[in-house]
Amino acid sequence: MRVVAYMKRRSLPGLFLLLVLLAASSCLPKPPAESGGINITLYGFSVMKESLEKAIYPAFAAKWKREHGEDVRFTSSFAGSETITNQILQGVGAEIGIFSIDRDPQRLKEKGFVTADWHTGPHQGIINKTPFVILVRKGNPKGIHDFADLAKPGVRLIHPDPVSSGGAQWSILGIYGSELKLSEKQSGEPDKARALQTLQAIWKNVISTPGSAREARTTFELGNGDALVTYELEGLLMKQANAPIEIVVPQATIFSEHPAVVIDRNVPAEKRQVIDAFMQYLWSDEAQQAFVKFNFYSVTSDAFNTANKEFGHVEIPFGVDYFGGWAKAYPDVIEKIFRDQVQRRK
Amino acid sequence: MSMIPTMRHVRGFDVVRPLSIGMLMFMMLPLVFLPLLSIFIFGTSKGLASFWSALTASEAVFALKLSMVTSFWATVFNVVFGLFAAYVISRHNFWGRNALIVTISLPTAIPTAVAGFALLLLWGPYGTLGRFLAPHGIQIMFTAGAIILANIFVTFPLAFGVIKPVFDTMSRSLEEASATIGATRWQTFWHVTLPSLRGAIVSGALLTFARAVGEFGSTILVSGNLAGRTQTAPLYIFAKFNEGQIEAANAIAIVLALFSFLIFSVLFFAREWLDVD
Repeated sequence: MRVVAYMKRRSLPGLFLLLVLLAASSCLPKPPAESGGINITLYGFSVMKESLEKAIYPAFAAKWKREHGEDVRFTSSFAGSETITNQILQGVGAEIGIFSIDRDPQRLKEKGFVTADWHTGPHQGIINKTPFVILVRKGNPKGIHDFADLAKPGVRLIHPDPVSSGGAQWSILGIYGSELKLSEKQSGEPDKARALQTLQAIWKNVISTPGSAREARTTFELGNGDALVTYELEGLLMKQANAPIEIVVPQATIFSEHPAVVIDRNVPAEKRQVIDAFMQYLWSDEAQQAFVKFNFYSVTSDAFNTANKEFGHVEIPFGVDYFGGWAKAYPDVIEKIFRDQVQRRK
Repeated sequence: MSMIPTMRHVRGFDVVRPLSIGMLMFMMLPLVFLPLLSIFIFGTSKGLASFWSALTASEAVFALKLSMVTSFWATVFNVVFGLFAAYVISRHNFWGRNALIVTISLPTAIPTAVAGFALLLLWGPYGTLGRFLAPHGIQIMFTAGAIILANIFVTFPLAFGVIKPVFDTMSRSLEEASATIGATRWQTFWHVTLPSLRGAIVSGALLTFARAVGEFGSTILVSGNLAGRTQTAPLYIFAKFNEGQIEAANAIAIVLALFSFLIFSVLFFAREWLDVD
């Protein structure tokens, strides 16, 4: 008993000794990114991850090292396009943003984070593009051959959440625009009532709205749902990983276009040169071919695109310009059609 | 009609005992055991080698370290604060005392996401206070400091909640005796009061630490979620899950699950060992 009592008396100083030891070893871990060289902080929408981390970053770092003898490192975070925009608006130190939709840098410009007009850059600031497709289970058991088939009763659809995901907004424009294009082809007039009805019927079949296109893919990969509307490159990446899925290319579908923008407010003067060089690099042949390798379409050269044999054939492609650009597409389709007449209607 | 009680008396065997124990285990099976088990199964499904490489990826190691360090400092703060608050509140009766107790307990019920954006609204570069600091180059949000602040907020009531009841029930006679033989207040506190709080301090600290290590909702808002910089272990798990790298997510999930098992085991034995006084 006396031993126990002794130990008890001793345990308090012992505890403090332990705390001091812990405190001494508790200096914050050193981020690998800050151990010398230049660090560029980039926030990107969810599906940009592979092409940037596996090809663009290392290639640019090598090029900069060759030409200037300095090490460049990248720190990045990937999430839904709207999510990263909101993070930047809250003050995260992103120096470059790659967005799914043009509306997001527009929001940053309105708040003074972006001062230059990225539309005046090469290809209106767009670095790559990709069509929207439907992913289904192997053998296509639900018989889905176009967007309209997603409205069939009993189809369980995974669709990212347009509140946080730019891809989700592209998908909505894709479905709605596809119906307009098809009705135009059949009767010479785009049928807005039909497009709205299809969108409403499809939305009733949505069982889950994950926060980003990548999150939606994970949900689908885990066996949830019969179909997923997403970027074609996601389907191609899944097929390359031997996932048991099939890609259904709709007859008419939208090509999403992704702007890369410098967040001027967060760029210190001494980093301007390397960041501008990186931005230019995104449109170089080397970077554009890397994007194609990772299943994005190049914006600079159609010859690059023919190199990727996996791309599906889109009979009637269209872009956001079909709706008059994002400045019109967002209020007219995402807000007035989707939010007011599809989502709110129960 | 009364078959079971009769049998029990006849055979001298309590049927209710194995039945209730079995039922308890059975109920916990789908609620706790199986979900935890599936993490282990999935995490090791591609073999131990890929589990190990997922675990030793530099960003994973960094995330674990960052979680430990930020939780450690939040724990230090909250234990000291909890001790102080419990002392003041249980020794003195003053106007607003009950309101203070309620306020300290509030973070338990506030959604952690609210804790996160409340901090952003205060310290963010455009926040109530943050906007005055930003011009001087002081930024707290999106750093490890922000993670510590968020951890402090969400674990605020834990140590206090464990320490205060012990203060309340502590016999004052020992302290009074200490005072009568000429001990100063500080000596009394250090040699008499504090030792009887050992058990409460240790369990309060462990609870706070365990809760802070697992914190997600507020951290994702205030940290910036940069891999290898401000990404804690729970954020790493979430990011890897979203990227579809479920094995990588699971590897860290296993570490955190084992870690909490360890903490609560220590908690269980430490209480028995330290609390006997």
